[in-house]
Amino acid sequence: MNERIRAKARELLESGQVSCFIGYQEGTRGKVRPAFVYEPQDVERLIWDERCTYNLAVYLHQFNTPPKRGEQPPRVGVLVKPCDSRSLNLLLHEEQIQRERIYIVGLTCQGVKVNGKLQERCQRCSERVPLIYDLLVGEEPKTVGQENYADVATLEGMPPGERLAFWAREFDRCIRCYACRQACPACYCVECVAEQLDPPWMGIAIDLPQKQFFHLMRAYHLAGRCSGCNACEEACPMNIPLSLLNRKIAKEVEALFGYRTGQDAETPPPLATFKKEEELPL
Amino acid sequence: MMKVTTKDSLAAWLDELTRSYTLIAPKAVGKQILYKPVEASSQIIFDFAKADLPAKEYFLPATQLILAIERGQDSIELREPSLQEERVIFALRPCDARALRVLDALFLEEEPIDPYYAQRRERSTLIGLACSEMGEECFCTSLGLAPDDASDVDLMLMEVEEGYGVEVVTEKGKAILRHLILEEVEGSPPKPILRQGKVPILETEAWPHCFEGVYWARLADRCLSCRLCTYVCPTCRCFDVRDYETANGDIERLRAWDSCLAEAYRRIAGGYNPRPTKVERLRNRFYCKFCYYPKDFGPIACVGCGRCIAKCPVNVDIVEVLDSVAVL
Repeated sequence: MNERIRAKARELLESGQVSCFIGYQEGTRGKVRPAFVYEPQDVERLIWDERCTYNLAVYLHQFNTPPKRGEQPPRVGVLVKPCDSRSLNLLLHEEQIQRERIYIVGLTCQGVKVNGKLQERCQRCSERVPLIYDLLVGEEPKTVGQENYADVATLEGMPPGERLAFWAREFDRCIRCYACRQACPACYCVECVAEQLDPPWMGIAIDLPQKQFFHLMRAYHLAGRCSGCNACEEACPMNIPLSLLNRKIAKEVEALFGYRTGQDAETPPPLATFKKEEELPL
Repeated sequence: MMKVTTKDSLAAWLDELTRSYTLIAPKAVGKQILYKPVEASSQIIFDFAKADLPAKEYFLPATQLILAIERGQDSIELREPSLQEERVIFALRPCDARALRVLDALFLEEEPIDPYYAQRRERSTLIGLACSEMGEECFCTSLGLAPDDASDVDLMLMEVEEGYGVEVVTEKGKAILRHLILEEVEGSPPKPILRQGKVPILETEAWPHCFEGVYWARLADRCLSCRLCTYVCPTCRCFDVRDYETANGDIERLRAWDSCLAEAYRRIAGGYNPRPTKVERLRNRFYCKFCYYPKDFGPIACVGCGRCIAKCPVNVDIVEVLDSVAVL
């Protein structure tokens, strides 16, 4: 697979179809890291293996601005897993990226591992082939997971007071570093409410009310837009189970609207659209 | 000869300390180990490599009320909250203790002295705990420290066969020692296992030559532009101060952590930003640590704790940066 990825990246860079190819490379201390390849001779750096958890769609935002006034934004090539492809569909729908400016190398995926352990989201994952791509690399996937929202059900089973205490305890560890937000492809506001100083919606304090407000606000802004890539939770230095919150909302959105994020680039997320005759089946 | 205490005696002594001091010690919080106030020694984690966050927050709190402006009947009251308690911070690793000395250079040794920091420093007694080996991301020895360096604490503990070896470093340390049962034994504490090889640290004067060039842009490509590295860092110390009106019309002046990695950090009136992209902002973090801070205040603002390495979501590795800059 590595050879096919490198060959494609080389071809794209040599022909000038893209000015940068975003993939994965070996990092330090046995880790992998996102790779940005600008020269055809550097494609040998590119790798793909089960450690490649990053959702590279987040990096497409930084290629949105043209290098100089009057110029076109650069074209980029990007490696996507099936989960990441859902983020791409969302960003395409929200017109954050232009389809003709990206070349998508899709990867079939049997799941990715963190510290040698298959991620839980991968065990549940029902998409083993990207939903959007220009070139598909990899073998036909063997197994498909099944989402059952078991952890969400446990959360729902708690009495409200206990649930509140659970989240207060989790959010209390937050240090407002915004790693979750920055790792999220769907969090791309030019100025986040959390950092807006005028009006000062949240203020600068790093206390529980601000932490709670930030995470709940973020979760609601991601309602119907989160693709469950888990980049937020993996980025969090304080082990806050952010995906649990996002998945609870994803579950509700699915139940209410029959909608799963990023299945295609056309269907608008339910909370981004409004029909006059609409009535919530509450 | 060395003074030793058993694990049980140490625990009893720590319990005794909680009667007159706020005892801050490594505690399991969720899946993490954090310095937290504890009520009894039974809550303390003794066997740990490094806390997930340094003890910085007890000297430069993440959020701190520094002035309250309160409305009276026909007057306005100004109130400066002060720290009432005396604190003992237990099991501080040498790197985290050195970090406080680094902060002292700015907050205490340069006018104006920061009264909030000074008070917290004055009212805290530091008990160090030597590391028996260097962690995977540790590089303290490259910055002039050692895993058993006792120079920045009041009292130093080292794990020994009998329990803990105890070294009194300052008068402050001696003062809290009263109730600890100590025994004199032959020998000396085991030397920590050091990793071979050092990370090259470029001289302050050499850094400006590395400022330009594509290296920083390529490093910043993958940077997520969050604040994580600065908030887990024991020596990053930037803060913001703002006034807020409370629900009853009083005003609170808050000081809270800020980060040079934040987009708005360097933005000035009129909207101009001298560090407009994450390239300049990420580069600044390294320049601040190894060039600006030593130039302005003396010490290098890095103690080699390796937290930024361990926690960075995208593998921005300060050791790799130092290695690369040395050959730029």
